[in-house]
Amino acid sequence: MSSLLRIQTIAVNTVREAVRSKVLYVLLFFALVLIGTGVLLSTLSYVERERILQDVGLAAVRLFGAAIAIFVGVGLVHKEVDRRTIFTVLSKPVSRSEFLLGKFAGLVATLWLQVVVMAACFCLVSWLAGAPLGAGHAKALLLVAGELAVLCAVATLFSSFTTPTLASLFGAGFYLVGHLTRDLRELGSQSGSAAAEQATALLHRVLPDLEAFNLSIEAVHGLPIPAAEVWQPLLYGAFYSASLLLIASLVFERRDFR
Amino acid sequence: MSRAEEVVVQVSDVVKDFRPGLGVRRKRVLDGISFSVRRGEIFGFVGPNGAGKTTTLKILLGLIRPTAGTAAILGHGVRETAFRRHVGFLPENPYFYEYLTGREILHFYARLSGVPAEGRARRVDELLGRVSLQAAADARLRTYSKGMLQRIGIAQALVHDPQVIFLDEPMSGLDPIGRKEIRDLILQLHAEGKTIFMNTHILSDVEMLCDRVAIIVKGHIRYEGPIEDFLGGEERQCDVTLANLPPELADSFDGRFGAPRSGRGQNLEFRVPEKHAGEMIRIALDAGAELRSLTPHRVSLETIFLSAVEQEAREAAREGRG
Repeated sequence: MSSLLRIQTIAVNTVREAVRSKVLYVLLFFALVLIGTGVLLSTLSYVERERILQDVGLAAVRLFGAAIAIFVGVGLVHKEVDRRTIFTVLSKPVSRSEFLLGKFAGLVATLWLQVVVMAACFCLVSWLAGAPLGAGHAKALLLVAGELAVLCAVATLFSSFTTPTLASLFGAGFYLVGHLTRDLRELGSQSGSAAAEQATALLHRVLPDLEAFNLSIEAVHGLPIPAAEVWQPLLYGAFYSASLLLIASLVFERRDFR
Repeated sequence: MSRAEEVVVQVSDVVKDFRPGLGVRRKRVLDGISFSVRRGEIFGFVGPNGAGKTTTLKILLGLIRPTAGTAAILGHGVRETAFRRHVGFLPENPYFYEYLTGREILHFYARLSGVPAEGRARRVDELLGRVSLQAAADARLRTYSKGMLQRIGIAQALVHDPQVIFLDEPMSGLDPIGRKEIRDLILQLHAEGKTIFMNTHILSDVEMLCDRVAIIVKGHIRYEGPIEDFLGGEERQCDVTLANLPPELADSFDGRFGAPRSGRGQNLEFRVPEKHAGEMIRIALDAGAELRSLTPHRVSLETIFLSAVEQEAREAAREGRG
């Protein structure tokens, strides 16, 4: 129980740091601008204006969410070591895993807070433009939140052992590849080579399948979304994040803070 | 074993190697150091810069893993975390989350240290008072001066009422008033029965505060024990300044007390062994001289380090080390 309290304390402090820093507001401002730009783009078209508007809006939420997760996340642990704030925290009865989990939880909470703000803006713009809003949109946004938690775990892992520059490169790479693993597997299965098929299937297993979290098309076009398409990616995301955090803990446990 | 002799910090044969750069070459920072700290004492861990003081402290606080050897605090291996509720730590030039206020940061550390919610606010207020920061309690730490950060650092080290307190160069970068405040606080904590482990390279602080010291040079412990015993080999001296001293008397002091003279004109300065200072001053005053100043002449820590480094080099040569 006291372990949870310590994780919560570090998480709350991480959220507080984010809320009190200017970088986040700048990113959030641009995200809101992009969601609003959907209105402008939709006027260029005579057909499917609402769909264009919502396509741009959901893409903005996903892209800016990912950008914030990676760019705020990569400095998460590194900054604590670099500024030596970690010395006093770890001198208290706090284990390194608790510290890492607290930082991760704080980052996820910050991101979810952003998603709520961006989602509210998306709904407002949709409502003003008279575009339909339904359960599909809620499910799509829920999975965006799920995907961002996985990205936070990726950022936490890289942040636990490398510099922010390298970590952002790795993080961005992970994000891009994560959205391509399905295509990669498809490519492998069509190549006709057993070795290529096995290799691409393995990559699909090891790298995150972030496309599973993308329900934008279904939501925008009002297509039915079965429950399994929501809970399966969420469960997958939870396991994937837990594995990444476990690796991060093992790496972090061995580090010397000079 | 009596309570006073109870060992609260035990370091045994600790070795630490760092592998800078690509990690091909090994750099030994601590070479099998051992020492112990007893309950209730102020222990000075003394050495020149780069001797391994901070590395040792970080090993004790679990921030660095030793390559070999063991370290324990209150009977717990330093890799454990639960016992740290009894340990306080002030790093050298402490850094804190500057977006928090003084009060917020103390609440943060109190929660992490398991201070119960009901007494937390009272404890935080009490500590803000103790380090004289009530007026700045609700200002962000980015507006704090160096001295204020040092004081908030001390407050966070004490927020959970620890038994053992580790201070890394606690007087570093402070003005004379700040140094005195910290010194007084250390003495207060000592009076409350806390065990204090202090890294320092300032001899006057060591002499004024510490019960026992360990002297570390280039990763080796050169001495462990009371500071007086270490300095015992050196005869203590005083600098005495006298005015209107009859010249013939001034000339006789060197031969009589081994007190060479410096200075010209009215004020003459003598460096006299401490044991003869009283008698020499009495004779001078009887002859109509005036005492202008009396300053104890301290052996500088540099001299001690230098002799320790020389000893280190001699031993290294004898053992065929590099």
